[in-house]
Amino acid sequence: MNTLRTIWDFRYFWGSLVRMDLRMKYRRSFLGIGWSLMHPIAMTIVFCLIFSSWMEHAQWWQAAPYFLCGLSIWTYLVQSTTQGCHTFFANEYYIRQCPLPLAIYSLRTILGTSIHFCISMSVVIALVCILQESTEPLTVLPAVFPAILLLMILAWSMSVSAAFVNVYFQDMQHLLDVVFQLFFFLTPILYEKKLLYEKGVGFLADFSPVVLFFDLIRTPLLTGEVADFDLYAQACGLVAIGVTVALLLFSKLEKKIIFQL
Amino acid sequence: MASIDLDDVSLDFHVRENKRMTLKEYILHGMFRSGGNRVKVVPALHDIQLHLRDGDRVGIIGHNGAGKSTMLKLIAGVFPPSKGRRTVQGRICSLFDMSLGFEWDACGWDNIHYRSYLQGETPKTLAPKLKEIAEFSELGEFLNMPVRFYSAGMLVRLAFSIATAAEPEILLVDEVLAVGDLAFQIKARERMRKMMENARILVVVSHELSSLNKICNQAVWMDHGTIHMVGPTDEVVKAYTKYMEKTPPKPGAALAA
Repeated sequence: MNTLRTIWDFRYFWGSLVRMDLRMKYRRSFLGIGWSLMHPIAMTIVFCLIFSSWMEHAQWWQAAPYFLCGLSIWTYLVQSTTQGCHTFFANEYYIRQCPLPLAIYSLRTILGTSIHFCISMSVVIALVCILQESTEPLTVLPAVFPAILLLMILAWSMSVSAAFVNVYFQDMQHLLDVVFQLFFFLTPILYEKKLLYEKGVGFLADFSPVVLFFDLIRTPLLTGEVADFDLYAQACGLVAIGVTVALLLFSKLEKKIIFQL
Repeated sequence: MASIDLDDVSLDFHVRENKRMTLKEYILHGMFRSGGNRVKVVPALHDIQLHLRDGDRVGIIGHNGAGKSTMLKLIAGVFPPSKGRRTVQGRICSLFDMSLGFEWDACGWDNIHYRSYLQGETPKTLAPKLKEIAEFSELGEFLNMPVRFYSAGMLVRLAFSIATAAEPEILLVDEVLAVGDLAFQIKARERMRKMMENARILVVVSHELSSLNKICNQAVWMDHGTIHMVGPTDEVVKAYTKYMEKTPPKPGAALAA
């Protein structure tokens, strides 16, 4: 409870650092924050041109939001984790000067990636509305928002775990790069989930947290059908596990991490 | 009221003999091998007793590797003690490594904000102080430039101005004042004296023995992680100088022991 209060008391500190990170990232660039969208949008265009014939609904206006939404969620989790690896090293100077709760620095990382994610999700929602020429996708938003919130908490817990593990084993970040690259192709980001079942590797979809959030966010947005309560329960369970691990890491290692930096 | 109490405090560092352990090494080590990259315990501080109250201005002296900076960081709460108890009451502000803790690409003004927020200021409490910080640093137009272009002396000016504007109850300073030019050193000393009038605690680590008695009313002589002598600045400095002339110590002696 005390930690939470300290984090709140120092909100101006981490708040201004997050603002600075955003400003610095796009300093002196013409597109500004638009650069963060360039990557998924460019990928989406390429995939639409090349791969949309793989999909059953071969029309590009159906495939484009499918790709973009999938990429946004995937990129968010990957970036939160890989940038999370650098959390404590990037803020080493502050950690060495002031004994503030380390959670403050995890907030700096996760808020940065979350802002990008929110922007790209807004683009996805706008794109769906424009391409379907209706505001119907907006009606599922009340069901999608809690899922986005759960996803953010999950991303935070992954970021925290990566931050602690990477301090002890610095080869972790390279290992993660490889693992994420591998799973980029094993996750139905660019193809449909049923393809995995047809190939007999359905377990890849069944046990993937990313697929769970695709079902909770992407499918409702594109089809207008709200996800089952069951899926929400699974997501809550997953988030609870992630948060428990993150909090355990904080409680066990918060005081010890300074000796490893 | 501000106070610092260190009761039987010890601090050990666990250092690996070779380099950092990798995940591969950890797994292989755990399953197949033993030995190799052993952990060595380096006693940095040993059974420290220190009790400071309002108005104490303490200079810590000692040879390189005596544990001066480590003790300062332990007081600040950066290092938790391995043994013993650390009780500190009062708002702490620390000036350790001047070049650290700046956001290099941000301008001087922005850095004033970040550092002040780090010291617990809010936009409301900071606003009236901004002008004073800028004036004390005498950096003028340079404050609009990224800190990356500052010289070491300019960084010290900025950091010192920010740190002392926060009106900390406890100020911890580590061998930094020597970097500023003479005019600034005089100004900084004057400011510290003013801060002390409000009955606060100052702990400063310094090799500048001649200027120490102008700032401090007490001195702590540290030797190989223990407190060798505490007392009025003049006496301790005299004893220390005499000892050093006779037997200059080696920093590695504690490790070898």
